[in-house]
Order: sequence, then C-alpha cells, then structure tokens
Amino acid sequence: MTDPLSPGSVQRTSAPPEPDLPGPFAVGRYAGELREFLRARARVRVIGELVNFKQRGANAYFELRDSDGALPCAIWSNELERMGIPEGALKDGVEVVVSGGPDYYAGSGQSSPSFSFRATHLKLAGEGDLLARLAALRRTLAAEGLFEPQRLLPRPVLPKGIGIVTGGGSAAQGDLRAGFARRSWRGTVVWAHPPMQDRRAAGAFTRAVQDLAALPEVELVIVARGGGSLADLWAFCDETLCRTVALLGVPVISAIGHETDNVLLDDVAALSCSTPTHAAEQAVQVDIAQAIARVADAADLLRVRGAGAIKRRAESLRTAARVPATHLRRERAGLDQRLREIRAAAQRGIDEREGHAARMALVLARKSGATRRTQVPAEVRQLTRIATALTRERDAAQRNRARQLLALTTALRAHEPDRVLERGFALAEDNQGEPVTSAKQAREAGDVRLRFADAAVDAKIGETDDRTED
Amino acid sequence: MTEPKTDLTYEQAFERLEAIIARLDSGEAELRETLDLCREGKQLIERCKSELDAVSGELRELDLDALVEELQSHETQAVADEPSGPAAD
Repeated sequence: MTDPLSPGSVQRTSAPPEPDLPGPFAVGRYAGELREFLRARARVRVIGELVNFKQRGANAYFELRDSDGALPCAIWSNELERMGIPEGALKDGVEVVVSGGPDYYAGSGQSSPSFSFRATHLKLAGEGDLLARLAALRRTLAAEGLFEPQRLLPRPVLPKGIGIVTGGGSAAQGDLRAGFARRSWRGTVVWAHPPMQDRRAAGAFTRAVQDLAALPEVELVIVARGGGSLADLWAFCDETLCRTVALLGVPVISAIGHETDNVLLDDVAALSCSTPTHAAEQAVQVDIAQAIARVADAADLLRVRGAGAIKRRAESLRTAARVPATHLRRERAGLDQRLREIRAAAQRGIDEREGHAARMALVLARKSGATRRTQVPAEVRQLTRIATALTRERDAAQRNRARQLLALTTALRAHEPDRVLERGFALAEDNQGEPVTSAKQAREAGDVRLRFADAAVDAKIGETDDRTED
Repeated sequence: MTEPKTDLTYEQAFERLEAIIARLDSGEAELRETLDLCREGKQLIERCKSELDAVSGELRELDLDALVEELQSHETQAVADEPSGPAAD
C-alpha cells in the first residue's frame, strides 16, 4: 500500500490550475496517517496555567496557557482519578504540569475531528516546577535587557502623587499608610485593588499598573502584597506583567511577599523592597517634618549669612575709603615740610653765596683802587653773573620740586574715596559728614547724605527691614 | 543675576540653597554677587516651601476604578455633546 504521507507517492496531473502536489488521498486514510504521525512524536512534560476544565463522558478537557500560546488538552477520566488531585483544585489559573504528547481524533462521517494534547499524567505544579520556569523566564528577560530600563528612570525624592496596587483592606495597605504617616507625607494616593489571591490576577495587575502610570498626578507606582507560597505569588512572575512594567515610563517599586521571596517583578522594577513599610519609605525619601525644619533653618542661615556678608563688604569699603584719606593727609604734611625745608636751604645757600660774592667784590674793589681801576668793573660783572646764575638755579630747583609734588599728589588721588564712588558705590554720611556704616547708625541719624560720584543727595531713613539688620 | 530654574526638584533646589549659604560663608563673593545670591536663595526657599506644602496638608486618597469610570463617563458625555454632522442625502 502506498503511504499517503510519503513524498514518493506522487500522482501528477496535467491540469494547469492544479498545484503539482501528491495525492489526492482519501481523507479518512489521510486523517488516520496524520493521527499515527502525531502519536509518534516524543512524549514530553508541559507546564502552564489551566483554564476551562470540563469533564465530558470518559474524558476531561482543558487548556494550558501562558503569555506565548495555548494548548488544548484531554485526559481520560479514569486516569485523572488516579492522580489523586483534590476536589476543586483544577480551577482556572492553577499552574499544572502535564505529561503526554500530541494526538488527533480522526472523526468519521458523523463526527468532527479534533486535535489535542493527550495527557497521561497531570499534577499541580510544585515549587520546583515553578522555580525552574521562573529561572527560564528570568534568563529570557535578562537576555533582552529588560532588567535595566526601570532602574535607569529618575525616581522622585518627594512625589506629590503615588499609585498603589494592593489588596483592599489588606495588611499591606495598612503598612503603606503607616509608612507614609511616619514620613509625615500627606500627598495624593490612587489605590487600585485587583483580586490579589486569584492566580489569574496578572492581567488585572497589568491593567492597573498601566492605568495608574497614565494618570498625570501619579509620579511612581508601588505594587505590594503580603507573603505567601511561590504558587500564591505566581501572578507577580507573569511574563506579560513583567514586560509591561519593564517598559513603563513611571518608576515602579515592588514589595511582594517576604524578604526571602523573589518574584520576577522584583527584577524588572525600579526598586525591590522587602516590605510594604520599606516601600513607603523608599517612595517618599524625605521626612517632611524634618524637611520643613531644615528649610526654615536654611532661611534663617541665608538671612544671617547674607546680612553678615553684606556688612563685611560695607566695612571693607569703609576701611578702604578711610585709609587713603589718612595716608594722603600724612603725605601732604610731609611734602609741605620737605618743601619748606628745601626752600629754606636753597635760600640759605643763595644768601651765603651772594654774601661771599659781595665780600669778594669789596675786597677786589679795595685792591684794585690803587693799581688797575679799569679791571675792577670786570670782576664785579663776573660776580654779578655768578649771582644771577645762582638765582636761576634756585628757581629751576623750585620748579622741579613743584613738578615732583604734583606727580605725588596725582598718585595719591587714585586712592581717594571719590574714586571708589566713581566705581558705583555710594557713601552714606550723617549731618556731621561722618560715614554711616550700619543700619543702626542710619536709624539713629534719621537724615543722611548719600554721596555718589557725580553729586550728593539728602535721604531720609524710613521703616527698615529687620531681617537685614543682623 | 542667576535666576533659579523653574523645573528644579525639591532636592536640587535644596542642594543649590546649601551651596549659596556656603558661598556667602566663604566671604569671597563681591557685593553684587552677594546681593544676587541672597535674592536667588530667597526664591529657592519659596520653591522648597511650596514643594513641602503640597505634601503636608491632608492625605488625599482616590480609587482607580472610580477615576476610570469618571473619565469614561466624561468621554461618553463629550461624544453625546458633539454636534451631529450634516444629514446624508
């Protein structure tokens, strides 16, 4: 007999529109061969979420599902009874491990065919099965880099609004409220309460997290639940939920189970906390009461240090304004004294030389009176020239000294207070012309005179700001 | 003068405030800079106070389902209120 599934049994036809394929085979024969082909496939174990469990006749039917696909399954009722599974345990959402392989009911002229995974063994998934599946999922998500995006999101230190997914009236909800109270935080909380015990809760969690993240007032999301077995917490290992959270634009803090529990959501979240209380403290990183006190302290510091810095600057300017004036007065007095001494010394020198010249002239006149009278006027003329030259020398020395004095005066002027005023500062003076250097002095003076570079104006001191008087 | 950025977070505003106080303490700032720093510091204090005021009143608790229902009813109402187009011939 020719095998209808074998490539060798080709019957060609020359009809143009018909594809060049083997056959045609009788359908019953083909269906029978298909059944045998599938039954020859390897027997395996499959893990997934059980849904739509029904018992009909000699068979029980259900589906196995996960986020990537589904498989219709069937098991003989008598075989299922031998498994010893408790009554009611095979409800929707439970994780089961099924052993078996693909099968095909070929149907008949009166009944429809169907495909199913024929189970020969079925058990509720144990911790080991779940851990193995969790490890595989963890490897997949890590390889895709989905553990990073949430951790890279900036987390607000002081959020105004927080979205929370947790059981309504649960201990976790109470712990979160207590955590916020400890921080004295009283912002906006948007609660989402999907069913937390239902093993099919992952879809509801996913929608809740997405909806919360879409609210403008929510700056971060917390997913919190108390402890339980890995099977109880299995919804928080759901692949779809974890992929959604990983790519969310709002940071998510997970606080699932106890410290030893480690669900997949912890890996993709921005932060994983051991308890809901810890999550509340991490969501609000600032103790509000302390922060209010710190800001008040900073305001005081700013006022005191600001006023101190301005006062130091004012004192420094006042000193700078006083020093050149004192120095200038001292230098002027010294120069005047030196000028007087120079003039006196020059006069003394000239007087001495003129006296000497006169005496010499007198001696020469006497000597020449008896001998050569004609020579005397010449000697006298020479002495007169010497006296004239000395007078010129004295005048030149005086002019030179005057120039030096002018240069020194100009240099000193560069340090005068007026030059400080020309740089944009103003000098406050009281009615005695003394500098006013503090708010206290200004209040006491009442009226002050503000000297600017171009002119002075009178000013009256009104109400003062106490904050700047420290 | 340096104006504080309006998008500063509470933490950034407080850090800048501490830096301003340290600068004033150093005594190195000129008179003009000192006045500017004092003015900027006052604005930062107001910003920090405003951030803290927003989370120190009464705790406001909302329910996601109620919010979603409210949003959906608004959308339905908006669709119903839309003026109908010209009748088809």
